[in-house]
Amino acid sequence: MEEILQKDHIRVKETAATWEDAIRSAGNILAEAGSIEPEYIDYMIESLEEYGPYVVIAPMLAIAHAAPGRGVIRNDLSLITLSSPVKFGSENDPVFVVLCFGCIDPTSHIHRLTKIAELLSKESRISALADADTADEIINILNS
Amino acid sequence: MSIVKIQAVCGFGCGSSLFLKMKIQDILKENNLEAEVFCGDIGTCTTVPCDVIFTSAELAEQIMKRTAIPVVPISNFMNKDEIREKTLLFLSESLL
Repeated sequence: MEEILQKDHIRVKETAATWEDAIRSAGNILAEAGSIEPEYIDYMIESLEEYGPYVVIAPMLAIAHAAPGRGVIRNDLSLITLSSPVKFGSENDPVFVVLCFGCIDPTSHIHRLTKIAELLSKESRISALADADTADEIINILNS
Repeated sequence: MSIVKIQAVCGFGCGSSLFLKMKIQDILKENNLEAEVFCGDIGTCTTVPCDVIFTSAELAEQIMKRTAIPVVPISNFMNKDEIREKTLLFLSESLL
């Protein structure tokens, strides 16, 4: 699991008042880890403003990212859950879980993202993640 | 007939479209169906040869205005029932 999603890149029950806050919170983990430039967080917010809230790909779950390359230092992923959900303006609102990633090019992260997608790809799993109280619980749910 | 090409589309062709592509491939495998499934981005998807575009409801509206390629909107990229129904419906119609 560590090579897919590091435990210290998971934060639970984060506080966010808006979808922008939620994306900033998830993006800050990657910025603090040195995986993205802080500007990349703005690019994620801009791309959502441009393309709309389709990033909420399933009930409760948003995938936040921007274009490959610009502002990305290395491929990396973070995951946050929210203490109170926020609305993105999607029919799948409200969002409890945000998966955030940056990729240096369009393809080199695919293996890792495929793995996390397989782990997330049960709808019941998203609500279990939303209820988790610790990063360890998140890891256990993804591994189960 | 030649193999059906299904393009899964999101903003950049490297994030949520991957989730959708994987689900479509699962459905094809479960039903012993063959099709080529690949990811695309909203900017270039209408210039890439394919038989159908699968994408989110929001992006579908934008793409439909720009192309005659059939566009299938998917509300929930994790909902296998929705994706199964829409994939099988498209494939059955495309064989007519």
